[in-house]
Amino acid sequence: MSGLDSSLWRAVSVFRWLTVIYVATVNLVDLDNVEHPLTSLLLTAGMVTWTVISTVAYATAELRKWPLLATDLTIAAAMILATRLVEPAERIAQGEPTFPQMWVAAALLAWAVRWQRRGGVAAAAVLSVADLANRAAISAETVKGVVLLWFVGYVAGYVAGLARRAEAAFQEAVRIQAATQERERLSRRIHDGVLQVLALVQRRGAELGGDAAELGRLAGEQEHALRGLVATSPDGVLPGGQMDLRDLLGTSRDASHVHLSAPAEPVLMDQHQANELAAAVAEAVHNVRRHVAADADAWVLVEEEGDDVIVTVRDDGPGIAPGRLEQAAEQGRLRDLGGSATVTSIPGQGTEVELRVPR
Amino acid sequence: MSPAEPTPSPPGPSVLVVDDHPMWRDAVERDLVAAGCEVLGTASDGAMAVRVAAAVRPDVVVMDLQLPHQSGVEATREIITAGPKTRVLVLSASGEQSDVLEAVKAGATGYLVKSASAAELVDAVRRTAAGEATFTSGLAGLLLGEYRRLAAGPETESGPQLSERETEVLRLVAKGLTAKQVATRLVLSHRTVQNHLQNAMQKLQVHNRAGLVRYAIESGLDED
Repeated sequence: MSGLDSSLWRAVSVFRWLTVIYVATVNLVDLDNVEHPLTSLLLTAGMVTWTVISTVAYATAELRKWPLLATDLTIAAAMILATRLVEPAERIAQGEPTFPQMWVAAALLAWAVRWQRRGGVAAAAVLSVADLANRAAISAETVKGVVLLWFVGYVAGYVAGLARRAEAAFQEAVRIQAATQERERLSRRIHDGVLQVLALVQRRGAELGGDAAELGRLAGEQEHALRGLVATSPDGVLPGGQMDLRDLLGTSRDASHVHLSAPAEPVLMDQHQANELAAAVAEAVHNVRRHVAADADAWVLVEEEGDDVIVTVRDDGPGIAPGRLEQAAEQGRLRDLGGSATVTSIPGQGTEVELRVPR
Repeated sequence: MSPAEPTPSPPGPSVLVVDDHPMWRDAVERDLVAAGCEVLGTASDGAMAVRVAAAVRPDVVVMDLQLPHQSGVEATREIITAGPKTRVLVLSASGEQSDVLEAVKAGATGYLVKSASAAELVDAVRRTAAGEATFTSGLAGLLLGEYRRLAAGPETESGPQLSERETEVLRLVAKGLTAKQVATRLVLSHRTVQNHLQNAMQKLQVHNRAGLVRYAIESGLDED
């Protein structure tokens, strides 16, 4: 399966090797002090042998099933019970460590990795029973060891489960991202094709004249609307409540006759500010429609100047603006944001409304 | 002067048309030929455009940006590097904003959307061949944004800057004024307005080239 899974199993094997080296060394050094040195040697050899076998077995994904794990735990428990073959009963009762010591925790970790919390706790239960069965009396040391065993079983199981869920979530995220990218790539290609054809129809229609010109005009409007949608991503609220002003202006402008000029990079603003400014722009464009002509061209320029965002709405109307100074609504909105609106009109060169908002 | 045949203006510029859409290729070629331009060839992808441009050396390459195999931006860069006399006019449908800016930085001197009329296209090709910059309001907005971005960035001193006059001209174009209207408004000659616009483009191209050279030297030095 996944890389994470093999890593966890490898970690168990590494732990098993480190502990077997430690325990074997301690037992060999201690050989003179035990009652049955030969048994101690044989058991140590057994531990090393099982360490080798289990390392190979756990490296194979198909073998990491209950027969292997049950064998592993049985051998660990048997090693604990074998302590009495090496040590005299009274020393065991006094709280002498078991013969395999922390080596048995490798089997416990394997159970925790395989069956998470439940596996870790179950393995801890089996090993505790084996340990307690050895001892005629229970010392504080023994209790400490047993509690530690349960604790390790639970925590290791919990962490293994957590890591698996995290990896599953990560893989899901990667999958979704890849799917989204593919969808975007496809939609770009499709849109590009549609845009090409619409632009072509518009062009040929204008050349042919008559009814074809009307068809061409309609195709042109659709091309303009689609281009606005492709160039922007709607409902794009970014982390931190920020929005790209270009997206808002791109989607809210009427299909055609509004020409947007903006930087190539996002123009980020606070969501509330962005919405208010976009509404003010929409009003200004609406005014162009009302005062110049229903299909008059309007140019919208977005600029950043220091911390200010400036949006200029310009039309090519006669430029004298009777009643155009009732820009009260725009000015009201902008004053709330700490901004301003200026209207410039040059006879014969149209009218410009400059909206300035500090970020 | 015979009334039957209008005197053709001096022989039109030679053109290479690059577009992956066959209908578009044909339409553009037809319009250009009808207007007296000499269409030396067509190409349907970026790599082919680079090869054909090297072989036929056109005055103007009419370049779509959305191309298979090699993007229009890359092809523009290679064509300009191989033949600095060739000029590239970008003719793009989707108005992919950052693409257009990249194409200009790579050396394109004009940009037109595909919804432009045949007359506008022919006019743009002639102007491009004559060395003029073809601007839309959208492109002017992109350039203004790019200069502001560079000015706010870390390399303020070495980066290119617009003069006050260039900014003024660019802003007016971005607000939809034609070069002629700008000239009237600022009481300048058409030629002067054109110069300001060309400078605004060229400074970015030079900066971009210098950046590429610097990058090449740095990565080269790192290897040793």
